[in-house]
Amino acid sequence: MPRGHGARIAGRDSRDKYALSAPELVENFFRHEYGRLVAVLSRQAGLRHLAAVEDAVQSALMKALQTWTIAGRPDQPSAWLYRVAHNNLVSELRQRDARTQILQRYPPVTTPSAGPNANSLMPGEVSDDLLRMLFVCCNDAVPDESQPIFALKTLCGFSVREISLRLFLTEANVYKRLTRARSRLRDHQIEPGELTPEDCAARLPAVHRILYLIFTEGHLSAHVQFPIRRELCDEAIRLGELLARHEIGQTPETYALLALMNLHSARMTARECATGGLLLLEEQDRALWNRNQMMTGFDFLARSATGDCFSRYHAEAGIVAEHCRAESFAETRWDRVVDCYLLLERIQPSPIHRMNRAVATAEWQGPEAGLAVLHGFEPPGRLAESYLWAAVNSDLHRRCGNREKAASYREAALNAAPSPAIQTLLRRRLANTSAPSSSAR
Amino acid sequence: MPSKKYLCIQRSQSGNCEHEPPSPAQMEAMYAKFNAWKEQFQDNISDLGGRLAAGGKVVSSDGATDGPFVEAKEIIGGYMILSAENLEEAADVARQCPGVTAPGSQVEIREISTP
Repeated sequence: MPRGHGARIAGRDSRDKYALSAPELVENFFRHEYGRLVAVLSRQAGLRHLAAVEDAVQSALMKALQTWTIAGRPDQPSAWLYRVAHNNLVSELRQRDARTQILQRYPPVTTPSAGPNANSLMPGEVSDDLLRMLFVCCNDAVPDESQPIFALKTLCGFSVREISLRLFLTEANVYKRLTRARSRLRDHQIEPGELTPEDCAARLPAVHRILYLIFTEGHLSAHVQFPIRRELCDEAIRLGELLARHEIGQTPETYALLALMNLHSARMTARECATGGLLLLEEQDRALWNRNQMMTGFDFLARSATGDCFSRYHAEAGIVAEHCRAESFAETRWDRVVDCYLLLERIQPSPIHRMNRAVATAEWQGPEAGLAVLHGFEPPGRLAESYLWAAVNSDLHRRCGNREKAASYREAALNAAPSPAIQTLLRRRLANTSAPSSSAR
Repeated sequence: MPSKKYLCIQRSQSGNCEHEPPSPAQMEAMYAKFNAWKEQFQDNISDLGGRLAAGGKVVSSDGATDGPFVEAKEIIGGYMILSAENLEEAADVARQCPGVTAPGSQVEIREISTP
């Protein structure tokens, strides 16, 4: 049956543009293409032209939005975008620099088949431009706080505003950190194409740190909506898996990091109840855990068990693996969890790790043992004032029968709770701790 | 099949400074919304038309000048042709087209009378 008589769009053939069977673009196509194209074109044109590159890519995406909605999607959307972005960039740079050295090296692309992947694959070298860009920003010259911002903007395609929402920073702050990263990179002239295997090996720990940070922001953030948090975790995993596909990234730490990210991520949907409130670990419906992703996590865990170095990622992966293995909260091997925390504390001493060890010890050996871990321990101010510290103490004291201490810690926890969802959770978890002398309700 | 055709002309205020350009994530959402609108109203879409370029010509029996009219307060940004049974239906479809009724922009809908 013929569709709309006048469906003529100039330059199109007789294919039915409005067919319901037209394949969709993959999820996050626009954002991921942004990252890919910026990486490819930055390598070609040089980091000093990063701003022009980003503009060229942005314009290409806008043109795609306008053209594809009317004329339909091209057969090779990625190639289409590359051609348009490349041509945008060349004409922009031609305007800026009459000497056109760049033009001679990179003439405008006219055929869609001119691929951006003409890289020689030398062993030990990073062949993927996106990965190169990740290593480029893990530069000592770029401040630690600027690196993840640069990664989220340039590799993941988030806007300044989107980053500020996700990391609880002001837009001005994000913009400042981004500018700092860009100017340091410009000044230090380490081009993506010039990274040696030695450079990459030296920067690998920083790469791991960025991915861990982005993942943690997504995983632990209790304030923002679930899809946003999930998206950050997915980005960290995506980049981690890219890293693991290249020789330079194939280290035990990378696999351990991927293990812990996948294992945590597999349980994320179970952490919220139907009304959006938070659920305790023992309340979570384990049937909701993503078993496939969990298998991926365990797979990476196995691959991480090589070599003689045991990183904090190994310890953390070990902890979450114990939780994932257990059929129920009661069947968790708490002794193993405590072991992992001990190892973690040795590698990365931290008051939070000690506090978590106290919780795990209490599950394993009873609340008195848990309190003993904290005995004589003076947490730093920030932790001492946090709701978590108060909640842990309240719970342990309650289970030991110290009702007054439990009640006063409970009150401190509720006062310090950063959101209504957490407050509700605390009320539930720390119930029955009112001091005996309080008046009857 | 709807019998009448309607020309839809999109206009926006001239001097309307560009808002913050959309982020890739926003573009993705706009793309999805537009495709959903296209699918929903495919029987009403005769010609998706397109945007109109900024320059042009104005021709009359006196000759031709560069156009468009410089004193126009409103800039015509684009057009499309819808099929509908009546004006209300055409207006209803046009109103739901994403991007068409953004702040500061509006659509004029005129029936194309055919003999």
